Amino acid sequence: MTAPLYSPGDSLLHRAPASAKLAGLVVLGTAVFLTADLALLLPAALAGVLLLAIVRPPRARLTRQLAGSAILIGLVALIAGLSQGWHQAAVVALRFSAIVLAALAVTLSTRAADMLEAIEALLAPLDRRGLVDSARIALAVSLVLRFVPDILGHYREIREAQAARGLDANPLALIVPLVVRTLKDADDIAAAIEARGFPPDRPGR
Amino acid sequence: MTGGRDTACRRQLGRGLVRRSFKLGQNPLDMTIRDIVLIALFAAIIVAFGLVPVIPVAGLPVPITLQNLAVMLAGAILGPRRGAAATALVMLLVAIGLPVLSGGRGGLGMLLGPSGGFLFGFIAGAFVIGWLAARFARVRGPAWKENGLSILACIAGGIGVCYAMGIPWLALATGLPLEKAALGALVFLPGDLAKAVVAGLVARGVRRVYPIPLK
Amino acid sequence: MRHPDPSTSADNAAVVTVELDRAGVVIDGRTIIAPTTLTLKERRIGVIGANGSGKSTFARLLNGLVVPTTGAVRIDGLDTAREAAKIRRSVGFVFQNPDNQIVFPIIAEDMAFGLKNSGLAKVEIPTRVTAELARLGIAHLVERASHSLSGGEKQLAALAAVLVMRPKLVVFDEPTTLLDLKNRNRIRAVIDALAASALVVTHDLDLVERFDRVLVIEDGRIAADDTPRAAIAWYRERAAA
Repeated sequence: MTAPLYSPGDSLLHRAPASAKLAGLVVLGTAVFLTADLALLLPAALAGVLLLAIVRPPRARLTRQLAGSAILIGLVALIAGLSQGWHQAAVVALRFSAIVLAALAVTLSTRAADMLEAIEALLAPLDRRGLVDSARIALAVSLVLRFVPDILGHYREIREAQAARGLDANPLALIVPLVVRTLKDADDIAAAIEARGFPPDRPGR
Repeated sequence: MTGGRDTACRRQLGRGLVRRSFKLGQNPLDMTIRDIVLIALFAAIIVAFGLVPVIPVAGLPVPITLQNLAVMLAGAILGPRRGAAATALVMLLVAIGLPVLSGGRGGLGMLLGPSGGFLFGFIAGAFVIGWLAARFARVRGPAWKENGLSILACIAGGIGVCYAMGIPWLALATGLPLEKAALGALVFLPGDLAKAVVAGLVARGVRRVYPIPLK
Repeated sequence: MRHPDPSTSADNAAVVTVELDRAGVVIDGRTIIAPTTLTLKERRIGVIGANGSGKSTFARLLNGLVVPTTGAVRIDGLDTAREAAKIRRSVGFVFQNPDNQIVFPIIAEDMAFGLKNSGLAKVEIPTRVTAELARLGIAHLVERASHSLSGGEKQLAALAAVLVMRPKLVVFDEPTTLLDLKNRNRIRAVIDALAASALVVTHDLDLVERFDRVLVIEDGRIAADDTPRAAIAWYRERAAA
């Protein structure tokens, strides 16, 4: 359900550190916007295909993630082609293909935990200045993953309860109780977290 | 009267904690553990609403997902900072490669792609909704007026701000003229309006049953 | 199954002293707990009373989740309003609904959470986690997703996450209310075998039958404070009246 997109493997990309992959994406993302030369953009898009080929993800996962992007990029290119000519359409299509393919290759070859660590490292300077607190961010990420199934369960329960009373599916009658229940749970969950000694005392800060 | 009991309980439950945070000079955003939990639970609602079956709307070519409705709710119920934080948290999950966007999509490509501006617009939109909701919450009046203001906040942030960031991003990224990009986004407008109405009504409904201070 | 780690069983067995010194809780002008002075030194203490009598707030006073608005609560001499962090390291808390107590997606992660907060070295955490799960007879749950467990498994896992901290006192807030008879008996057996002291808030009168001391709370006051037999009899009479 919230199972990560990561697909296990031992490729070059799998072994590369997450921070390097993030940096590479930023460089690529900037570079493709600095040029409109098809002779440069075409190799960039092909490089994206090559990266995905290196990662070798399961085909079903690949098509599912690519289908939406492909439609969107096709649509955007079509509009660009009709309004600004086919050269611009090719530029747009290749640009986004390069970014989306490379980003997908990184996503598929990087564990969520490693990516989170890389992002935390990125935020570290802010953390030291007290602008963000990476321990709290990590806790929040875990809480989301923990409670998505519960909230889906509550959604189903409330819908069933209303069906049992002969009520039609009414978004208001469905969502209000769901949100209220969630707000009430928050007090208990916060108490449970405090009861287990969070936030830890961090001497010297 | 709004949230009186709630603030008292929080003062009660969070007292030791808040004091400790101040002592350490940590946590300048003044987020208690309860705030973190509320942010995470709303992020979980946003994710869950991307997973519940889509509602087909007759005459609309795009399926309606409840995900941006949940984003609007985050702002309208939690307030500006916590609402924006809940939305940003979902984007963090997208960035680390979890398929938490509607239709099971995720990954950095979503944030960097042509529609990335709408996703970042969600964060700013939730903030604006929360900011407006906090101002409107003081207004007392007949039901139609309170509902109207609540819906207005959701439209301003959830559609106004979101489109204001999404459309120029789309135009800039694709080299399309702004008005062409705007025309493309128009497909989503009827659905988004319907969702803003539902979000506004839900937010007021929740506030009547279980008010919490907007923060 | 009942072999607490010998290295810690000695200090775990030490009885915790709970002192309420005119401690009261008033929220929004409403008295939840009237000023109460009380010393608890028994190893097994039961707290019973009607819904809304203030039992849960009383339990939350003992580890600083609620701080008294008047007076003070001290655990082994430490004031809960000032030393909540330190107190939480020795006072565990088991909530009624394990759904809200298990805060991580995987059981092993959830159990590691409290240990990490206490500053235990990273390498020692997995050993402690597996040992505690084995002691409760649920070693097979270690890698399971929290939301996939049954109600009884969840309550045992929540309990494991508290016991893995080796608390000196465990406060239970209606630990068996949501459970079926079989799981109720299981939790009861765990409480009986606990090396640490326990204070149990409950509607389950059988659970506190063999305890050392039972308090009855009524409208935020200690209405009876006696042996289990006498306190339960008193409570039954009041409920019937």
